[in-house]
Amino acid sequence: MQVQALALRRNSVDTDGPMVTQVLNPYKEAVDIVKELGGDDLKLCYQCGLCSGLCPWNLVKNFIVRKLIHQVQLGLVDFESDELWMCATCGACVQRCPRGVNIIDIMKALRRTVVELGIAPIPDSMRITLKNVSGTGNPWGEPTERRAKWSEGLNIKTFSAGTEFLYYPCCLICYDPSVTRMGRALTTVLQKAGVDFGILGAQEACCGESVRKAGNEELFQSLVEGNTGVWRANGVKKILVSSPHCYYTLKNEYPLAEQGIEVLHTTELLAKLIREGKLKLTKPIEKKVAYHDPCYLGRHSDIYDEPREILGSIPGLELIELPGNHADSLCCGGGGGRIWMESKVGERFAEVRTQQAIDAGAEVVAVACPYCLLCFESCVQPGMIERAPEIKAIEELVAEAM
Amino acid sequence: MRSPNGEPRIVGFLCNWCAYQGADLAGTSRMHYPANVRVVRVMCTGRIDPTFVLKAFAEGADGVLVAGCHAGDCHYKEGNYKTMRRVALLRKMLDQMGIEPERFRLEWVSAGEGAKWAKVVKEMTAELQALGPLAWWENVREA
Amino acid sequence: MENDRRIGVYICHCGTNIAGTVDIEELTEYARHLPGVVVVRDYKFVCSEPGQNLIKEDIRELGLNRVVVAACSPRMHEPTFRRAVAQAGLNPYLLQIANIREQCSWVHEDGNTDKAKALVNAAAQKAYYLEPRDTREVPVNPSVLVIGGGIAGIQAALKIADATHKVYLVEREPSIGGRMIQLDKTFPTLDCSSCILTPKMASVASHPFVELMTYSEVVDVSGYVGNFRVKIRRNPRYVDESICTGCGICIQKCPWKTDSEFDMGLGKRKAIYTPFPQAVPNIPVIDTETCVYFKKGTCRACELFCEPKAIDFQQTERFEEIEVGAIIVATGYDVFDPSPIYQYGYKRLDNVVTSLEFERMCSATGPTGGEVVLKSGEAPTSVAIIHCVGSRDQNYFEYCSRVCCMYALKFAHLVKEKTEADVYQIYMDMRAYGKGFEEFYRRVSDEGVNFVRGKVAEITDQALTDEERGKLIVACEDTLLGRLVRIPVDMVVLCPAMKARADAAEMARLMNISRGADGFFLERHPKLEPISTNTDGVFVVGCAQGPKDIPDTVAQASAGAAEALALIDAGKVEVEAITAAVNEELCSGCKVCIGLCPYNAITFSEEKKVVEISDVLCKGCGVCVAACPAGAIIGRHFTDTQIFAEIEGILADARPPVAAI
Ligand SMILES: Cc1cc2nc3c(=O)[nH]c(=O)nc-3n(C[C@H](O)[C@H](O)[C@H](O)COP(=O)(O)OP(=O)(O)OC[C@H]3O[C@@H](n4cnc5c(N)ncnc54)[C@H](O)[C@@H]3O)c2cc1C
Ligand code: SF4
Ligand code: SF4
Ligand code: FES
Repeated sequence: MQVQALALRRNSVDTDGPMVTQVLNPYKEAVDIVKELGGDDLKLCYQCGLCSGLCPWNLVKNFIVRKLIHQVQLGLVDFESDELWMCATCGACVQRCPRGVNIIDIMKALRRTVVELGIAPIPDSMRITLKNVSGTGNPWGEPTERRAKWSEGLNIKTFSAGTEFLYYPCCLICYDPSVTRMGRALTTVLQKAGVDFGILGAQEACCGESVRKAGNEELFQSLVEGNTGVWRANGVKKILVSSPHCYYTLKNEYPLAEQGIEVLHTTELLAKLIREGKLKLTKPIEKKVAYHDPCYLGRHSDIYDEPREILGSIPGLELIELPGNHADSLCCGGGGGRIWMESKVGERFAEVRTQQAIDAGAEVVAVACPYCLLCFESCVQPGMIERAPEIKAIEELVAEAM
Repeated sequence: MRSPNGEPRIVGFLCNWCAYQGADLAGTSRMHYPANVRVVRVMCTGRIDPTFVLKAFAEGADGVLVAGCHAGDCHYKEGNYKTMRRVALLRKMLDQMGIEPERFRLEWVSAGEGAKWAKVVKEMTAELQALGPLAWWENVREA
Repeated sequence: MENDRRIGVYICHCGTNIAGTVDIEELTEYARHLPGVVVVRDYKFVCSEPGQNLIKEDIRELGLNRVVVAACSPRMHEPTFRRAVAQAGLNPYLLQIANIREQCSWVHEDGNTDKAKALVNAAAQKAYYLEPRDTREVPVNPSVLVIGGGIAGIQAALKIADATHKVYLVEREPSIGGRMIQLDKTFPTLDCSSCILTPKMASVASHPFVELMTYSEVVDVSGYVGNFRVKIRRNPRYVDESICTGCGICIQKCPWKTDSEFDMGLGKRKAIYTPFPQAVPNIPVIDTETCVYFKKGTCRACELFCEPKAIDFQQTERFEEIEVGAIIVATGYDVFDPSPIYQYGYKRLDNVVTSLEFERMCSATGPTGGEVVLKSGEAPTSVAIIHCVGSRDQNYFEYCSRVCCMYALKFAHLVKEKTEADVYQIYMDMRAYGKGFEEFYRRVSDEGVNFVRGKVAEITDQALTDEERGKLIVACEDTLLGRLVRIPVDMVVLCPAMKARADAAEMARLMNISRGADGFFLERHPKLEPISTNTDGVFVVGCAQGPKDIPDTVAQASAGAAEALALIDAGKVEVEAITAAVNEELCSGCKVCIGLCPYNAITFSEEKKVVEISDVLCKGCGVCVAACPAGAIIGRHFTDTQIFAEIEGILADARPPVAAI
């Protein structure tokens, strides 16, 4: 019934159209649904515009976050607008909003409203991604059996009860040829350091972090149930992840803590191994390396020191800071499901970030997130940006320095 | 034992200067919290004799909430420190009597902390709802 | 127990405040059956004259001997109803209040009527056991202590002194004047701050009824309303106040310099200094951190040149004890240091200044001689003034600082007056609520100021275009345009939040008063007792109570003086009747209580071998009552019997926990 009501009244504000007086007749049902689905904070917004000023989108393209929130407040939002799908959930705005509005929750709720009530089309790329995850457990619809293919020839054992760590690689590591190297480098490092770990390959599926941000709560919950079940059945106690997105969702949104399952990000483990002397970095890397803080490792998970500690212990490496580092880091553009959606050349945050790295004189940009790796890789293809720095995962640099 | 409608009863002992005013502030600010708590005003938490707490449990309270001024803020300088010490003993006593620790709470609420008062009552009510009615005889350990 | 209890219960509707969520009829019916209750009445506003008359008539005609009022918090109207019952000839302590508004009808979504019943039951049960108490009166010391010599303290001191009462005015700094003397002009009238303040400073200093103690701090307070004993530390000036003529030759001759606090670090002062030329008193102090004699043992230039020989390096701190009947706290506010907001670049980028720095810059006696200049010495061609820096921001201070909008407009005017610069006001909401404020807003608008509505995201020196090179760029959304804007300017003035003094917690402890969630001292009632505090006889005025402008500060300070005068002129004051008493038959003489009493009110009588409690010293906290192992101490008005009865009443609808057999 509600769906019908929603479909009947789609009177949003259209400021770009011909100037006519808008009848302010709030679409109360729509606001109520957005509030119910997690966007309740929007009542608090006092329209200061700080979020717009902080949102990285405005480095490349207009995105007036405040205005969108105001439209939702008045129930005048256009559910068909592309704006609903822009937020990369980087958290730059949430961190400083003076009214404590969790803007990401509002964006998520808007998308949920679309996904769950079907009142507007989901952008194609997103719709297909969601369908794939639901079908085969990964965003491309690749066969589930091939989930462990990335590890071919590496001799990684299958996890069994008693193995210390379960390594849970991100879907990108499993399937994307330009990111797989992150997992392979890590394997080399862990094996050298004598860490006891295994994988579960096809038994697992996507963590669902971006699925949830894309508004498909139901699918997310089923992924949580599936993965948690697999881990419980296999007697997993410690999960090691490469992706800060997996890290964030496993830590905060999966019911793992109550089952005594610990989650670690690779940078946490590597820093610990170095500290304990189990990992010795002896081969110098004589390069200027800039570390890029991923949103989900930094702002969302408060891990800033370990990656720097690791890079700092590589001999010869000169660690430099980019403008906007730690909590002020610029988003690569891959969060919030954006990684699965098209961003036009010239409208990618990673391009801006790469330019910042060039200006800072970086020869290498070190990343700690598969999304960042992919976003940076895809914008420094030959010819696109001159003097492009190399993009390396921290795992790769460590492997090189051993 | 629950009230006839099954809701847990909390007896609050609040000092006149901080916590009671904090609770009043929650009122003037129209904050909402469950009606489960009922307050007995005393001048200072230092006046709270452990027998008051026991009496409340004996009369049918499911929980007792003592609230006073923050450390250093007691209107009578240090009544709340004395309460802190007294409460440590009281906790042991309650434990021996089979009264779960969640049923007794000591909180510091200033006159400006209406929101904190509301939050504490909400939390405690939820905890007691989860815990069920007081049935000390089930918890008393064999000596 | 006696069976002659005749209790009257009065249930207030408080308009719809109570009646809206509590079923009054049901409550009234319920109360009728409580033990000892002979009459129950409900009324729209029991606190009103006719409401009080209901009670008085019943006392007289029905011979009531206990009264229960179910209404708002006892902290609101207990005094009112005590007075009413006393007028009808009943002892005022035979009254009990059930708080069914603040702690019931206003805060619960359901169960209100049931809870109200329990509260009324508890009050009636307690009332049953209430005992009469005689109120005691003590004489009031007619002097007043005012702490803080800003405009608030000066105003309050002058009013009281004019009424020919002795005032001690204690100021921590070497001179009185507070923040106001740091300001250049004042909104909305633009009159010169020192021109209107210095005459008041002079008259407070020379007033025969004022004893001014600058460079001094209150270190201890004891006693109670009407009779406080206060210990004051007089910090050593190293200049003999009785000899110094204020000629200033010492300052002239002192070779050592440091940053001037008064000029917010923009200018310098000497090691021996007065904070500003019109200081009151005009007697310098030596800052031992900067003075080379104190650090290395040589120099003494000032001593050499001082003709009357007023320099005294041997001075040490002195303590003075005074007795006063009332205390007015007027310690003012601090300004938030905005450097934690990294993106605003304060202390990191040149020419990003705070409002107080800007005030000093505008002042003719300030570090730039009244010129608005950049660090380079040039005049700016554009200035951005940023509102709400840390105010209205839950990451810093949730409240509105109330004066920034107006002084920001004042700054726009000053920039326009002193330079050719373009001015940008970057505000979130323009709050021009006071008398003459909107007119002032119009006037400044008329001077040609650019208004940009939004909260600044960043202030940077990273230029993106030629136009921006060498400038500070203010980036934000102009929410009225709905576009991101970058405003290149030469100077940025931040308007930081006004916050409670750094030592407010200590002061609160010393004075035994509370602070609100915002950190400022808490008034007893936000509307009806905005000057009084939790502690009788202690009042707060000015920005110590919350951010406000000078007109409001002065009004509040005058009100504070009136409160203090009312107290003094009554000549006597009722003191706590709720004290503890010893039952000598039960006291075993164990002395446990003696060490517990925070007021040393308990002594041991060697003769009777029992303890005795001084009625004057006891404040009735009850800590000894709860501690006495023999149960020999009675906490009047909160006796064990009374509290037990109250507990029974409050749980009347619960059943005791018993195992099913
Ligand atoms: C930049 C700026 C511009 C302003 N412009 C205007 C304007 O144009 N017009 C206007 O109406 N208002 C203006 N105001 C507001 C104005 O400053 C205040 O209203 C006023 O100063 C408040 O006076 P006060 O006496 O309460 O506090 P304060 O001025 O802060 O005085 C308090 C005094 O107490 C002393 N003190 C503090 N602690 C102790 C202690 N423990 N013991 C002894 N002494 C102590 C301090 O040294 C100080 O002298 C402005 C405020 C700012 C920040
Ligand atoms: S920063 Fe917060 S308050 Fe400001 S416009 Fe954005 S959501 Fe609203
Ligand atoms: S979370 Fe990041 S991408 Fe999303 S609106 Fe906020 S600043 Fe923009
Ligand atoms: S007065 Fe509040 S605890 Fe003592």
